[in-house]
Amino acid sequence: MTARTSLARSCGLASSWVLRSVLHRSASTLPGRIALAIDPRLIGHLASACGRGSIAVCGTNGKTTTNNLLASALEQAGMRVLCNRAGANMATGVASALLPGGEADWGVFEVDELSTVQVLPDLRPRLLVLLNLFRDQLDRAGEIDRVQDVIVSALASTSDTVLLYNGDDPLCERVARRASRQGTETIPFGIDEDLGLPAERVRGGRFCQQCGAPLRYAWRQYGQLGGYSCPSCDFARPEPAFAARDVTITGDGVAFSAQRAGGSRGVRVSAGWGGAYMVYNLLAAWSASMLAGADVQAFQRAVDAYRPDNGRLQRFEVGGRRVTLNLAKNPTGFNQNIALLAASAAPKLVYIVINDDYNDGKDVSWLWDVDFERIVDDPTVKLCVVGGHRANDMQVRLKYAGVQADIVDGVAGALDRAASLPEDAEAYVLTNYSALWPARRELTELEAAR
Amino acid sequence: MREERQTSVAAGSSDGRAQGRPEGAGRSTGQGLRLRIAHLFPELLNLYGDGGNILTLVKRCQWRGITPEVMEVSYGERPSFSDVDLAFIGGGSDREQAIVCEQLLAVGDELRSFVEDDGVLLAVCGGYQLLGHSYLMGDRRLEGLSLVDLDTDRGDPRLIGNIEIESRIQDMPIVGYENHGGRTTLGPGVEPLGRVRHGHGNDGTSGMEGCLYRNVVGTYIHGPLLPKNPGVADWLIGRALRRRYGRAVELAPLDDAQERAANAVMCARMDAGEK
Repeated sequence: MTARTSLARSCGLASSWVLRSVLHRSASTLPGRIALAIDPRLIGHLASACGRGSIAVCGTNGKTTTNNLLASALEQAGMRVLCNRAGANMATGVASALLPGGEADWGVFEVDELSTVQVLPDLRPRLLVLLNLFRDQLDRAGEIDRVQDVIVSALASTSDTVLLYNGDDPLCERVARRASRQGTETIPFGIDEDLGLPAERVRGGRFCQQCGAPLRYAWRQYGQLGGYSCPSCDFARPEPAFAARDVTITGDGVAFSAQRAGGSRGVRVSAGWGGAYMVYNLLAAWSASMLAGADVQAFQRAVDAYRPDNGRLQRFEVGGRRVTLNLAKNPTGFNQNIALLAASAAPKLVYIVINDDYNDGKDVSWLWDVDFERIVDDPTVKLCVVGGHRANDMQVRLKYAGVQADIVDGVAGALDRAASLPEDAEAYVLTNYSALWPARRELTELEAAR
Repeated sequence: MREERQTSVAAGSSDGRAQGRPEGAGRSTGQGLRLRIAHLFPELLNLYGDGGNILTLVKRCQWRGITPEVMEVSYGERPSFSDVDLAFIGGGSDREQAIVCEQLLAVGDELRSFVEDDGVLLAVCGGYQLLGHSYLMGDRRLEGLSLVDLDTDRGDPRLIGNIEIESRIQDMPIVGYENHGGRTTLGPGVEPLGRVRHGHGNDGTSGMEGCLYRNVVGTYIHGPLLPKNPGVADWLIGRALRRRYGRAVELAPLDDAQERAANAVMCARMDAGEK
């Protein structure tokens, strides 16, 4: 370690101590920012101390869950891991997570798609996991084409990084093909069967990014994910190297058989939470942990021990009523959330909170791409209420879906409305990004108080 | 939440039983009329919530007892405008926009006759740029549909953010979100849709936003323009019915309290100086 890196690390760690112990604040980004200002190459210098290397996880939806599951699986297999579990996923967050250093085997980091180009050249991960590419925050992230360009050029800067990607997503397949041409080794994962999910109302057609012809789908899971092929060129869903089969999705969670191509028979993986999208997250984490040398038992132990506490399907109990908090920040994520509502029979109150802070994207146009019409068709949803800085936009969106929703003040205001519902009614709080932490804090307080 | 529908759905469900519609509204208020809407290339031009415009038109017709019929024109189909009352073009990425322009140029003459015959056309974002003589994609200048005398260049930076304009076609400001690299110049005699109060508009400097030509509305306000601007939706519906039936149709008033509140919240935020 150079003197400069040492100084950067010391300053970062000192600020981390002040933030945590003196100010009782989160230390997930500022220490990294300070340390990077002193040593811009800090990530590379510290990452080289991870004995077996690093793994980076990116993709529009599912980064935090996949990343944390993967880190836990490696720990369950007896390895020491550095990880940005809180989800601070830009260069400063990765640097903050690396600061403790010590004798780690692996660094496991979620990385914002657009930050890959800053992080990867220094981190030089053994593996980049690419989960999916959905439209999200157009005002900040730009069109998907640009996100693809950024990931491809990030991979060009680190020739020994292997790309493990979702082959069911034609947008990821396109990234893989471009990366492969510049010498990157690529490994696809995918679900090898039609999940038979109900069709979405907004089904953007997908056009072959190689030749422009409309793609054909033998089956379609959700969004653009599925068994696609181009009728006029060689672009098609690849045979997955890691596949999920015999998938079951119920109100109690998901289960599937995970299989490595050419390997022996499949291994059953099951989780007590999540819907269809969780199959992809679990499969990605499973594949990455196998490539990192974890064993299948360790992976299942990590899944069993995993208790979502970061606002992703996090459960609370307020006054005897079960409340589920989940992040829903783009159309695909929201549609998956709405599908989850119908998976259990309990009557429900749904509270939707929409903010438009910088981290959310200032533009809430995407609300009109979400299938809220499905809520009308879901007999378990008894009442909808809305909140957040864009509560009025959300209210209008629901009006045109055929749902009358009042604007309420916070989670407490929403739960007051549940009083008129049956005893066994549950509440679901669906929020976008910046609304997640206030809702989580309020729920934690309500849980303790009532 | 089907059981809740009868009691809790304020503005009426898809069967057209609307609270906002006065009893006994006759033909002069639109009841019993039909409206044919063409949604051009929804699978290509749906960058961000563009479908909200169609949904708004459909619901506001249904709540008044007007029967809307939506025809989706897909890639590879040759659209005909002979039986269309109202056409909508959304926004897409550069690549998708170029594909659409090529498809529409093939029926350019028919589209021009539709517009000159006072056919109603709403074009947002990328679709707005297609209305003109040409637009720039990267460094390439592509031929537009020449439906309206306007031209689009490219500028740096992109013009992004909430926008509020004053327009004569709605009794409150039109609000929305813009995100475009294009700089559009209107020809002499082409009226802008409105004057910019907050935001950038056509070119960030002229204070003009969008275009209004015959029954054509073009605007950089992208995605779901109509939900928070019900006056614009009703202007389009009213114009289309007048053309179809050859007489003015007074639209039954609807309860727009929620739409107006959503509009007012954004106006207040922008008037308070928020970017």
